[in-house]
Amino acid sequence: MSVLRQIQALDINKATPVDEVLNLLPPNLRQMLSELPPAVKETVEEIRIRQGRPLMLGLAQGDGYVSEKGAVASCLSEAYVVNTNDVERVTQLVSRSSLYALEEELRNGFITLPGGHRVGITGKVLTDQGMVKNIKYISGFNFRISRAVKGVADRVLPYLISPEGRFFHTVLVSPPRCGKTTLLRDLIRRLSEGIPELGFPGINVGVVDERSEIAGCYRGIPQRDIGPRTDVLDACPKAAGMMMLLRSMGPSVIATDEIGRQEDVAALEEVLNAGVKVLTTVHGSSLEELADRPALRYLFKIKAIQRFVLLGRSKGVGTVEDIIDGRTMRSLGVKRC
Amino acid sequence: MLKFLGAAAVVFSCTLIGMTVASSYSRRPGEIRSLLNALQMLETEVSYGATPLPEALTHVAERCDPRVAPLFSRTGEELMTMRGITAREAWETALNQYYPKSALTRADRGILLELGNSLGVSDREDQVKHLVLAKEQLKLEQAKAEEASLKNTKVYNYLGFLGGLTIVLILI
Repeated sequence: MSVLRQIQALDINKATPVDEVLNLLPPNLRQMLSELPPAVKETVEEIRIRQGRPLMLGLAQGDGYVSEKGAVASCLSEAYVVNTNDVERVTQLVSRSSLYALEEELRNGFITLPGGHRVGITGKVLTDQGMVKNIKYISGFNFRISRAVKGVADRVLPYLISPEGRFFHTVLVSPPRCGKTTLLRDLIRRLSEGIPELGFPGINVGVVDERSEIAGCYRGIPQRDIGPRTDVLDACPKAAGMMMLLRSMGPSVIATDEIGRQEDVAALEEVLNAGVKVLTTVHGSSLEELADRPALRYLFKIKAIQRFVLLGRSKGVGTVEDIIDGRTMRSLGVKRC
Repeated sequence: MLKFLGAAAVVFSCTLIGMTVASSYSRRPGEIRSLLNALQMLETEVSYGATPLPEALTHVAERCDPRVAPLFSRTGEELMTMRGITAREAWETALNQYYPKSALTRADRGILLELGNSLGVSDREDQVKHLVLAKEQLKLEQAKAEEASLKNTKVYNYLGFLGGLTIVLILI
């Protein structure tokens, strides 16, 4: 009992996700934002810093300005305006004074921070023969605070595992910002840990995390809980990464985010042929819409995918709208949960 | 007898002053050489390893001449605190502590300050350019320092001793 209480006490003392990000802001902004009421802090999704413009927060319900005293201000005149000095210091802190070490990240437009948070960066883009080379004169940041939501996979898992205890080839279909990656991450964690309720032992999961969103790796080390039997190739192109994992890591499931290009589908087919299970996501709001895209149409044609999970936000972010059997193309009778 | 002792004390102290001045001339080329070596290491860390600046500075401090190491280790430590200072500020703080104890001149300090302005704020190519520029300028200073050292070390050594003698002769 007392041990449990200790653990709970530890949990309370632990820094909130927002605090982890605040440590990367210059002292004046850190001070302002740490004065925010706890209720606001808990719902902050984004901190937006744009040179010469007001400091803003992206909240679950819309956005708001931040005043110099550290309150959410409703009118523009009260807002704190970000100056050159702030931007320079934020640049130094998020890059650890080493922009030269982040050329690859700048090319992608974001840096992953300790804790798995991400900061998007804008400025003047330098190109070389049409390819983005670097970002210079950095002037804008968007700190996106990531919060792990554990347990979202629980209600879909029973539909994704066969009575014999085998995982089905699964594709999550969802429009942007409907909790696709969150669900994917939680599925990976559960498969990796094992699911005692379903008599499912943990299996090796290989993750190709091209956009560093699933595992939120910081210097190659996953910052999110993705389970004990999970291997991550961070920032690796999907097609190449799937082949690498297949050859070297002996995964039972290969998971990736946002399949769409022809080469991704070709690699996916290799994985299917190797007898390895597939877990992936695609952008889209319905199966009909997906069938219009040539690369994905092929995937339907070979009838390889056994389960399609459709997500939406009809009952809030992450609503499971439907689960469809890939062989018969019929709904499994899950509606809006 | 007392007069003789006093005269010896004057000559002795003047010689010491002369030697101190001379040693600052002879120390400077060596220190600039160590700085050049350290900057070369930093350049390697930045261009080949793409090591983040705080770690790169710590690595350099571990391997370079102990006489110049404090400049690099202190800058690294300042940056590791993550208290919101820029690399330039950290470098300046470290330089202001290091400079008074070193044999460097204001010109050398100017070159290092200038380098601080660009530390960590640009891409790899640009960083290397700035490091190379600082090294080139330091090499010029080193040549000057060596020349001055050859000329002045002996001069000040003799000057101290002879100056002491002169004072004694005048007083007697």
